[in-house]
Amino acid sequence: MRAFDKLMSKISLLSVFKYAILITAIGVSGCGEKQAEKPPPPPLKTESPPPLSLKEEVSPVIVTAKTRETYQWYCAQCHGIKGKGDGINAKFLTVPPRNHTKAEYLETRTDEQLFQAIKFGGLSVGRAPCMPAWGNTLSDSTIHELVRYIRELCQCEAL
Amino acid sequence: MKKLYLILICGWFLYPPMLSHASLIEEKKCASCHRLTKKENEKKGPDLFYAGNKFKSPWLEKYLQNPVTLRKAGTIHNPGFLKGERENNHPSLSKEDAGKITQELMQMTLPDLPVEELPDPLNKGQKAKTKYEFERTFSCISCHQSLNLAGKPRGGISGPSLVDAGNRLQANWVAVWLKNPKTFSEKSRMPVYKMDDETRLRFTRFIMTLKNEGIR
Repeated sequence: MRAFDKLMSKISLLSVFKYAILITAIGVSGCGEKQAEKPPPPPLKTESPPPLSLKEEVSPVIVTAKTRETYQWYCAQCHGIKGKGDGINAKFLTVPPRNHTKAEYLETRTDEQLFQAIKFGGLSVGRAPCMPAWGNTLSDSTIHELVRYIRELCQCEAL
Repeated sequence: MKKLYLILICGWFLYPPMLSHASLIEEKKCASCHRLTKKENEKKGPDLFYAGNKFKSPWLEKYLQNPVTLRKAGTIHNPGFLKGERENNHPSLSKEDAGKITQELMQMTLPDLPVEELPDPLNKGQKAKTKYEFERTFSCISCHQSLNLAGKPRGGISGPSLVDAGNRLQANWVAVWLKNPKTFSEKSRMPVYKMDDETRLRFTRFIMTLKNEGIR
């Protein structure tokens, strides 16, 4: 009977431990409360062949009025009207939205990385989960245009 | 034949909603801020032509008497939205008027709206998992306020607050919105999520657990 009691207490301790890990993960890494931003990860190695989405893009990507309108409609909620990372949601997020006018970080990212971040969300490129995936909302060509627009805002290219 | 026309015309005008509620919606000029049909152009207030599918009647009646702020930055078509400049608050109505307008609004529904079969209420483990996905996988918290583990509201403000969603919204509406927001509105600022049905209905259940009663 004692052995059974010991076993049961071990099981319940294990479940409490599992919940504690999950709860800590939610509490620590959500998007709704402030925390210090981690340094950017190093740029991806460029030795591998370019991803398909870039290969397929043959014609030059042009930023149009429609691109700017799309940015204002969707992206500006967090990234701000002028792309300075000061949108209406900014002060409520754990990790501040990227300031698209600053070249220091954006020149360390390739166009493909920016494309991936917009299409599949921040987590897909090892960044904040606050950035949702827009791949079911925006077409690939619109996302390529947005990448180009971000390059316009930061006045920078990938190094 | 003339008698038949006369009966039909009288019947139309004597139909109870035509006598009271519809005229009250008109008298209060709800249509100046809200779309009452899908055919109209977008307006600054939330659409009401599917109010009967979306809202829970007790919440709506209470809201009309004592409007609370659901969208801290205003609605998405508000010109000052991106600057966080909200326009005037919704007017408060008397208890009697709120009751009458609620009755009328609850009759405004979309034809042929799918009826979703929801799973059982979430257990603790499912709720924790869904909360994790709500915040990290789908980033909902970036635009919608919800409750954190300490029972405090947290999250972005560009979308309507979900803190009291369980009292405000009908579960079926949430499930259909998550499947295809365009069923209701052509243009939204929210990303489209192609969730599998299990995830979508679990999310619906999770959103319905968010209530003011959970605030600590």
